[in-house]
Amino acid sequence: MTVLFFATARTATGLSREELPVSGALSESELWEKLIMRHPALAEVRASTRLACNGIYAEAGRVFLDSDEVALIPPVSGG
Amino acid sequence: MQVEVEIVEAPLEEYVPRPAASADVGALAEFWGTVRDEEGGTKIAALHYEAYQSMAKRQMETILLELETAFPCQRVHVVHRRGWIPVNEAAIYVGVQACHRKEAFGLLTSFMDRLKQDVPIWKTEARPC
Repeated sequence: MTVLFFATARTATGLSREELPVSGALSESELWEKLIMRHPALAEVRASTRLACNGIYAEAGRVFLDSDEVALIPPVSGG
Repeated sequence: MQVEVEIVEAPLEEYVPRPAASADVGALAEFWGTVRDEEGGTKIAALHYEAYQSMAKRQMETILLELETAFPCQRVHVVHRRGWIPVNEAAIYVGVQACHRKEAFGLLTSFMDRLKQDVPIWKTEARPC
C-alpha cells in the first residue's frame, strides 16, 4: 500500500509518502492503528484527518488493500 | 456544462484568458482569491499552498458537476495555484458563464464553500515579512 501524507500529517511523520506492506483487507481503524504504531505523532491528527482511497474520500466501512493508494487528508484550506 | 480545472505553479494571469462568451450567456461571474498580507494576526509576505493534485482536480470537477443541478451554467473555468504565492497575487480563479446572474453567482459561492470543506489543498506555511 502506498500512503501519502499531506500538511499536518506530513509534519507528523516527516514523510510525504511511504510504502506500507499490508496483507489482507484492513478496516479504517486497523489501518490507523498500523499507521500510529509506525508514526506515534499521527495520533494527534487522527481525529481531524480523513482518509482517501485511490483519490476518493473513504466512506464508512471501506476496507483498504495492499494495492490501494491511501492519503491522509487533514482539514483543508484551499482558495 | 463544460468544466475545466487546473492546478498550476505560475501566476494565474498566464492561464486565464479573457472569457469568450457565447450568445446565450448573459452573466460572466469571476472570482479571484488573493493572498492577504496577514495570517493569524501576523504580517506575511507569502503563503505556501500544497495540493494532492490528482484528487484535488477530480474533487473540484465532481463538486462542479454536482452543483450543476441546482445552478445550471454554460461554462466554468477554475485555476488554483500551488507553491509559494506572494501577497496580492491570486491563489484561485473561478470564472462562470451562465444565462442569468442568479445561477452564475450561486454556482460560484457554493463552489467556494465546498472547496474550503472538501478539496485537498492546504495553506501549509507563511513567509514572514
